[in-house]
Amino acid sequence: MTLSDRLEAYLTRLWGEPARVIDLSRIPGGASRETYRFDVEVGGGRKALILRRDPAGSLIDTDRRLEFLAFRSFHGTGLPVPEAVALEEEGAELERPFFIMGRIDGGKAASPFSTPPYGEHAARIGQQFFSHLGTIAAADPASLPIAQVAQAPALDACWKRELDYWEGVIEADELHPQPIVRAAIRRLRASPPPPARRISVVHGDYRTGNFLHDGEGRIIALLDWEMAHLGDPLEDLGWAIAPLWSYGETDRVSGMLPRAEAIAIWERVSGQTLDAAAFAWWELFASVKGQAIWTSAAKEFRDGGLKDPVLAISGWYTARREDLILADKLAALESLA
Amino acid sequence: MTPTVPEILMGNFLSMIEPPPPEAMGEFLQGRVAVIGMLSMLCAQEAESGIAARVWENGAIRDLLTRYAPTYGPTFATAAAGQDTDFTLTALDAANAALRRALITLHIAAEQARDAALDDEIRQLFVKMAQARRLDLPALPAG
Repeated sequence: MTLSDRLEAYLTRLWGEPARVIDLSRIPGGASRETYRFDVEVGGGRKALILRRDPAGSLIDTDRRLEFLAFRSFHGTGLPVPEAVALEEEGAELERPFFIMGRIDGGKAASPFSTPPYGEHAARIGQQFFSHLGTIAAADPASLPIAQVAQAPALDACWKRELDYWEGVIEADELHPQPIVRAAIRRLRASPPPPARRISVVHGDYRTGNFLHDGEGRIIALLDWEMAHLGDPLEDLGWAIAPLWSYGETDRVSGMLPRAEAIAIWERVSGQTLDAAAFAWWELFASVKGQAIWTSAAKEFRDGGLKDPVLAISGWYTARREDLILADKLAALESLA
Repeated sequence: MTPTVPEILMGNFLSMIEPPPPEAMGEFLQGRVAVIGMLSMLCAQEAESGIAARVWENGAIRDLLTRYAPTYGPTFATAAAGQDTDFTLTALDAANAALRRALITLHIAAEQARDAALDDEIRQLFVKMAQARRLDLPALPAG
């Protein structure tokens, strides 16, 4: 049976009436899950859907229930987040865990490798991008579906939980010694940030390339919630404005807005004032987290039989770019007292 | 360093040799071929400069370890001993792994001793190491 046949069998069982899958087609990107678009005819109507299925090997190891509930937490709240439709953690007819969500057509995602992609719409997209992030930071996670599975850390434990996790990923997956990221980890441990001011939903991978825009300046879908968790909202802001996602530009973050303007939008919408010392910590952490992800990609590339070129480019080219960024950040730090 | 050039080029071959399933044709296949092309181009850069970068980095780390061995202990002189004579990427990477481990240990010792001068020197070395290994993509048009 083809994947389309199996998906059709699943949906027919799920909805209790014949479902016909049309134009199942895999979408590039989405290295942490296989992503497919398809239509389905059921009950005399037609639905536009997305399938996200666990791959055999992945860029990152994530919990698909968390991702599913993150979509469910923000769909219908005013943010452009697709509807979560169905979740199968045991794989059912598709053999590997998956979930299905609504599809938002008419948008495109920018590649982090392309030239600054937003043209005359950069500022307008940036205003929405950082405003939406502020909205996520302002939401009360206790009232959201994601709280069913995501544990809230103590305010003073957010940084340590994240740093422990990502250092553990490097420990587990590193295939060649990395003195630069190791030095950054020690610096972070030696100078922890002040406690988070609040616990928020952290998207976990909020950056250029992980949303769709309509080509005319409007963000129409916030995607890729697979690393969502609860924690310090500064984690997301530090990741969103990381140099890796800025197309080599130094005067705008994410190829969109001047840094100060982006932060001001986030502050206004989130209701929080940025603590400079805390944010400096989370900015350095963003590059450590990035390097952990690229380290993991290199291992998955090898473990998966060398067949996924996205893992190769992440574990090689992107890792070297991250080393450049980390080395510059470390060199800019004050000398040891 | 990982992945290695032989692994990446072998991967390019392996990922193209198997016929894709019907649902992975079209846009997905086009994107995959583009990434494989990018990898091949980056491999050309690594073929041009990868050996020189490794020889330079190994020499720079050996020099640092040797200079600071009198202060931090003879194990660093031992780690720095020898020189590169096999200039294959595999042999240079093996030597580099041992040298990088010694560099990490020396850096930790410097931090514990609050040795600002050595810490500064190592952080500057990191910048040069990262620069020596940089890979560059041309500006790609937005899709």
